[in-house]
Amino acid sequence: MTLFSIGRICVKLAGRDAGRKCVVVDTIDDRFVVVDGNVRRKRVNTRHLEPLAETIEIKSKASHSDVKTAFEKLGEVVWEKKSKTPAARPRQVKKKHAAEEEKSMKKPVTKKVSSKKTTKPVEATPDIIESVEKTSVETKE
Amino acid sequence: MPQGMYKSGRLRKIFVKTPGGRTTVQYRQRKPRAAVCSTCKKPLLGVPRELPSKMVNMPKTMKRPERPYGGILCSPCMRRRVQQEARSEK
Repeated sequence: MTLFSIGRICVKLAGRDAGRKCVVVDTIDDRFVVVDGNVRRKRVNTRHLEPLAETIEIKSKASHSDVKTAFEKLGEVVWEKKSKTPAARPRQVKKKHAAEEEKSMKKPVTKKVSSKKTTKPVEATPDIIESVEKTSVETKE
Repeated sequence: MPQGMYKSGRLRKIFVKTPGGRTTVQYRQRKPRAAVCSTCKKPLLGVPRELPSKMVNMPKTMKRPERPYGGILCSPCMRRRVQQEARSEK
């Protein structure tokens, strides 16, 4: 029985996932194992793993979701693959077509209303106060 | 004779062959020292040896390896440190 049996929790020592916890999911031969957890699921050399004392009960070749549930019980995080959605590239249009498109795209120009508003300070007349009180009472009810 | 400012060795020389066949001397700014590991002092791989003005325009991923302590420790030193951290946890 090797140290890197299925269910052994390890810390990765090499690469971009170094220092993160993982669990052995599958053994390939005496040197290579498959790990999953807070790392990318992949085949690794056991020389790149530091075994910890803990082990968890997990199936052989357990799926990522199984590992996730097991890790959440331990209170550990699981690394999730980020789906790559490439940003929409700006469409290149020839100059001739661009001019035509601009014409068609142009909307009827509406006159811009000047944002400056001439507001006069409203005096609190008794009529206004009454109306405000009425509305407030209605909303309360 | 070169100008006085070119005699101090502050700038590095480059011998350029002109189209006319002559070789002329051009002077370029010297590059900074290579980045070294902070524990073993070996030169770091994956860290370009460029002028600060060029490093500013480079993306972050081009300036250091994408691993913990990337650009500060060399990989064997990093492995040793991560191993020690893992062992000292429990």
